[in-house]
Amino acid sequence: MEMEKKKLIQFKNIVKDFDGQLVLKGINLDIYENEFVTLLGPSGCGKTTLLRILGGFLEASEGHVIFDGEDIAQLPPYKRELNTVFQKYALFPHMNVYDNIAFGLKIKKMSKDVIEQKVLKMLKLINLEGFEKKDVTLLSGGQQQRIAIARALVNEPKVLLLDEPLGALDLKLRKEMQYELKKIQQEVGITFIYVTHDQEEALTMSDKIVVMKDGEIQQVGTPTDIYNEPENRYVANFIGESNIIPGVMLEDYKVQFDDIVFDCVDFGFKEREQVDVVIRPEDLDIVKEEDGKMTGIVKSVLFKGVHYEIMVETVPGTRVSVNMQVTKEHDITSSDASEKISANDFYVDIEDVKDLNDAEIIARADAQAWETQEDEYISISKIEYDIKEEIGTYPVTFATSNGTSVSIDVFVVQQQYVENPKANEAIAAFNFFKTVDEIKESAALDTDLKTWANAQSWKLSDESDVEISNVEYDFDPDHITAGTYQVTFSTQGREFKIHTTDIAEEGAEVGLTFFPEDIHVMSKMGF
Amino acid sequence: MNNKKFSRRLILGLILVFFYFPILYMLVFSFNGSRSLTSFDGFSLQWYEKMFSDRNMMEAIYYTLITAVIATFISTIVGTITAIGLSKSKRIVREVVQQINDLPIMNPEIVTAVGLMLFYVSMHMEKGFLTMLLAHIAFCTPYVILSVMPKLRSLDPNLAEAAMDLGATPAKAMWKVIVPQIMPGIVSGALIAFTMSFDDFIISYFVTGNGVKNISTLVWTMSKRINPSINSLSTLIVIMITITLLFVNLVPMVKEKRQKQGRPISNKVFGIIAVCFTLVIGSVLVALKGGVGSSSPEDAIAKYGSDTLKVYNWGEYLDPEVNAAFEKKFGVKIVYDTFDSNELMYTKLQSGESYDVLVPSDYMIERLIQEKQLQPLDKSMIPNLSNLAKGVKGLQYDPDNTYSAPYFWGTVGIVYNKQKVHKTDLEKEGFNIFHNTKYKGHIYMYDSERDSFMMALKALGYSMNTSDKKELKDAYDWLVKAVDIMDPEIVTDEVIDAMINGNKDMALVYSGDAAYILSENEDMDYYMPKEGTNLWSDAMVIPKNAKNPKLANEYINFLLDYEASMKNTLFVGYASSNEEVLDEASSEGGEFDGNHAYLPRVGYAKDEIFEYNADVKKIISDYWTKVKIAK
Amino acid sequence: MKTFKRLTIPYIVWMVAMIVIPMLLIVLYAFTKQGNDVVSLQFTFDNFKKFFTDPDFLKTLWLSLRISLITTVLCVCIGYPVAYAIAQASPKKRNLLILLVTLPMWINMLVRTYAWIGILADNGLINHILAFFGLEPTKLLYTDFAVVLGMVYNFIPFMILQIESSLAKMDKSLLEAANDLGANRFQRFKNITFPLSLPGVVSGITLVFLPSVSSFVIPKLMGGGGYMMIGNVIENQFISVGEWNFGSAISMIMAVIIMISMYITRRLDKGDDTVRARKGGNVQ
Repeated sequence: MEMEKKKLIQFKNIVKDFDGQLVLKGINLDIYENEFVTLLGPSGCGKTTLLRILGGFLEASEGHVIFDGEDIAQLPPYKRELNTVFQKYALFPHMNVYDNIAFGLKIKKMSKDVIEQKVLKMLKLINLEGFEKKDVTLLSGGQQQRIAIARALVNEPKVLLLDEPLGALDLKLRKEMQYELKKIQQEVGITFIYVTHDQEEALTMSDKIVVMKDGEIQQVGTPTDIYNEPENRYVANFIGESNIIPGVMLEDYKVQFDDIVFDCVDFGFKEREQVDVVIRPEDLDIVKEEDGKMTGIVKSVLFKGVHYEIMVETVPGTRVSVNMQVTKEHDITSSDASEKISANDFYVDIEDVKDLNDAEIIARADAQAWETQEDEYISISKIEYDIKEEIGTYPVTFATSNGTSVSIDVFVVQQQYVENPKANEAIAAFNFFKTVDEIKESAALDTDLKTWANAQSWKLSDESDVEISNVEYDFDPDHITAGTYQVTFSTQGREFKIHTTDIAEEGAEVGLTFFPEDIHVMSKMGF
Repeated sequence: MNNKKFSRRLILGLILVFFYFPILYMLVFSFNGSRSLTSFDGFSLQWYEKMFSDRNMMEAIYYTLITAVIATFISTIVGTITAIGLSKSKRIVREVVQQINDLPIMNPEIVTAVGLMLFYVSMHMEKGFLTMLLAHIAFCTPYVILSVMPKLRSLDPNLAEAAMDLGATPAKAMWKVIVPQIMPGIVSGALIAFTMSFDDFIISYFVTGNGVKNISTLVWTMSKRINPSINSLSTLIVIMITITLLFVNLVPMVKEKRQKQGRPISNKVFGIIAVCFTLVIGSVLVALKGGVGSSSPEDAIAKYGSDTLKVYNWGEYLDPEVNAAFEKKFGVKIVYDTFDSNELMYTKLQSGESYDVLVPSDYMIERLIQEKQLQPLDKSMIPNLSNLAKGVKGLQYDPDNTYSAPYFWGTVGIVYNKQKVHKTDLEKEGFNIFHNTKYKGHIYMYDSERDSFMMALKALGYSMNTSDKKELKDAYDWLVKAVDIMDPEIVTDEVIDAMINGNKDMALVYSGDAAYILSENEDMDYYMPKEGTNLWSDAMVIPKNAKNPKLANEYINFLLDYEASMKNTLFVGYASSNEEVLDEASSEGGEFDGNHAYLPRVGYAKDEIFEYNADVKKIISDYWTKVKIAK
Repeated sequence: MKTFKRLTIPYIVWMVAMIVIPMLLIVLYAFTKQGNDVVSLQFTFDNFKKFFTDPDFLKTLWLSLRISLITTVLCVCIGYPVAYAIAQASPKKRNLLILLVTLPMWINMLVRTYAWIGILADNGLINHILAFFGLEPTKLLYTDFAVVLGMVYNFIPFMILQIESSLAKMDKSLLEAANDLGANRFQRFKNITFPLSLPGVVSGITLVFLPSVSSFVIPKLMGGGGYMMIGNVIENQFISVGEWNFGSAISMIMAVIIMISMYITRRLDKGDDTVRARKGGNVQ
């Protein structure tokens, strides 16, 4: 079958730039007769641009579009044997349903009875018989959608271009229309080129999916190919949900990740090649700890209807612990008792000393002043300090305009941080000082603790930020008393997403298992 | 592709030429060295000098600006507040208010204007600055509401609630939350209001009075005679509007650009610019105001009870220096207003406006005397009455000068081009030459019902004071025929410049205008038909409701004096009522020596003076409207 | 929300005084005899009878309608291509062009019209140019031509801006769809662009026709003292003749004529209005 099909459209090295910005970077793509082809990618990937070049609304900067063996670069849209269904349908608001569908035929000056016959046939195809005289603007989204398709198809094009045609419809209608579109395509037997960013739509309808990113094609293949054998991390991520783990291909059929060697069915990689490994969430099973190929702790369980989505952490993240010294009240009251002022000691990294200014110091010391009577904040008008870029302790004094003042200590220290080369991460935090009230009054304690401790985490390779996802402590914030407490900050470790009908309990130690054929090994993406 | 681009450019080019050529033309000729509007005779700033020294123009600019500023300010605030209120009102209230609010926008301006005029008259409000300002606020506010409403509609309706939920008072919620959101609407509303007020003519024309004029109404009264100062004034307006618009359009652009470059302009800078702008306008206003009223009024107030004198005279009928001299001598301020027909003056008087001195014509004085609208002159204050020329002594409407002191006098006759019109034709046909198709398309008729009917009646051999319905009908038919077969142009004062330029061959004009035409164009001559003509005189009177009659008598005496009379007759070209001046100007070596039009024909039996007859007046004014329509 | 509602009260009072009462006064004057005061109102239909039975007044009405109609037609014929050309320009140029079209509108109508007098006068620029080429001078000022020119000059920006905005607002995908379905440029204009810009044309027509039918400034400046359109008759009655009752009646007649024509154009426009509104709804 495949061999009999004829190439209908060939894109040959299509390049398009808008004002120097490359939108298409040399697209080569063949499209065959009677195919349902989907161009899939996020917005800005160039898929619509490619479609508009084919439709004749844009000219390619470089390359050729061969249609039925002919280069059509110079052909204006109205002479091309293809029709488009526009994103928002572009139905002519001043014409009724019949006139909209008949438009192309009237332009071709066909005889009236032929037009009528064809239009009625189309209305039957799209299931809108009897709608001829209706005002198109009064129809529902789904009906307008079908009219737009009929208006294009009635011209009997060799190719129908559809530019995100279902984007404006609600979820339920969209599902119905997906089915209907596929049906229509099979009935009329012409090539559909369909542009969407919805991977599910692509998987449901297409004979062939073209995944695009940043003006380049990432992968071309059938929906099963693309789902099961994604070519790279990007495609795997874009199509369906997946766990993607960096690993090393030791030899054919052997891949290693997270320090464990697994059997797989992939081959043909270089020895010790750095690869990405994909495991689809539905391919993982939760078993008893001792039966698993990996073990981990259940972090969360979400009910998703037909299945549970369970997150299991197999490798813990990078952690650091600091001391929180909790003191009682430390407000200073003015001599006439009309106002109060307070501030905390704080630690600062020697490298950050140069960045300290009045506002920064007030923020870090959490310095505040207020009227006792009205309980209204007043501003801190004076701040005295002399902090050097040397390790040591320095006094700082804050004062209001009335002269009420408070002094604190600033500890300049060499910041300690924890490195975790395996996870390519580092994490750091400072000891800090707080009052009982401040902790009790905190509305979002985890976030406040991160701020107070100035906790940070970063990638060792490029110093980009890493999220600190866990804050642990062993005190009861509502009943805390003065004293020293340990607070631990940690990053996300290795987590697997599992779709399963079996339930597991949060916090439980479990084993994870899968079949070798469920692992798919991909080359690393080139940058 | 190129072809398409070319035609597009051509279309745009042509329309822009169409738009800007007249404006450019005006701009260029405001620097003309001569009076001409067609040939450029060297660069000169004289028209600008004239403009800046012309108190009328300066006053007009002042009133235009002050009205526009105040009206914009008030209507912007009121409009914004109302729009906010409306957006929270019940649907029915909102719709009714919006419907009514649309009326001044949708209605023809003239209807709004007429309505406001009737309103002021019924409220017995004296027309002037206040009436104009209120009217401007009335028609500006709807535009502000119209431009603010859409912004409010697109606003989250919960914004004010949110602000108040967070502790703002309603006033604060409005000022801090709603107003900043709808600022673009408010600004564009204010801009529309400003230009609407600044440019308004029709409404101001109907509701202003007492010498208060804005630029438009001033241009309207001046536009009949070629006056290149109008070009200077227009140039000034064009420049002001262009600067304002550029400012409004450029500021957001600059702001955006700076923001893109990461150097946003703080609101403080805008505040400073706005303050500077206001200061400039303010100081211009103060400067103008200073120019407007600079005399020291204390003495005058002590002597006459008031330091202002309101004079209502014909347009172009007085040398401005004369008024200036009077103001200087007596330390008073003259509010000087002009009209171009007796009827207009009468209507204005009826609408309740008060003047101290009027200068109506003979029959109108007769009417005013009959209607007891005048007060007698205080002859003890007017010794100069003894200087009157013979021709204006003992006139039948007021033989003893009880109520009136003649100002200018003359006849009505035909100015003709000696090169084109045979004097024999004139002598043979008299006024019937206006039926001689040899001159078809080459004549002007004067837009005055009286004088047109005078011509017709005289041509038919009737008395011009007839009250015979049939004779009047005959005269009407005569005029309709003239209009029908001669294709004349019916004009008012523009005839003067037109005849000087020799645009047409013949025109019915007042002798004084004829004298001016003759002195400017040698080809022209003046003919008084043998059938007789209208021997008219315009005289100064004091209406009953004058507020400053004492000063009015003083003014009349001043104008009858040799010096003022001489200045005026030289400036205007009409025959003076002062015997000495009349002799001097017309005798050898005088300004009007040999000018056939200057000295009126005295003692010719067929010449008549108009008498007032209410019924006839109504008939001929209806007839005249119809003659004009018939054209 | 009561506080906010109360904000409208001052303006409602003001509006009644300055908008409603003046309108009612016109009606009152139109239906009463001259010279009576409020105490002894004498109702009459004479003022209307006078207008409608006199062929001469009807003639002014006819002249006003004819001149405004010609003006409107010319404004559409000239304004459309201009608006089309502006809408086709790049956004930057478009803004500049719109500013250039708007700018003259901000300048006093009287001043702008006055400028034409020097150009059209018998001894004016055009006749000078004609004379230079040895051509017979033509009478330009104080003709129908001059009046129509003055009106087109003053009112065409409204037309251009209305049409331009309806063209610029047009959904570009509709034009692409027409091309896609086989329409060439001309067919596309005829079948899609023009019909869809009609609402703009209709509101342009309203904005040109209304001021021209009621104008009295342009006829007087460009048509001369003898040029009587209905606005001039009103002005004449109020300013020179002093027959306020008759003048009020004519004002009322004019207001009614305008209301009728507004109603008709709104009806014409309505179909498209709903289309536009609905279309907007779908796009979201």
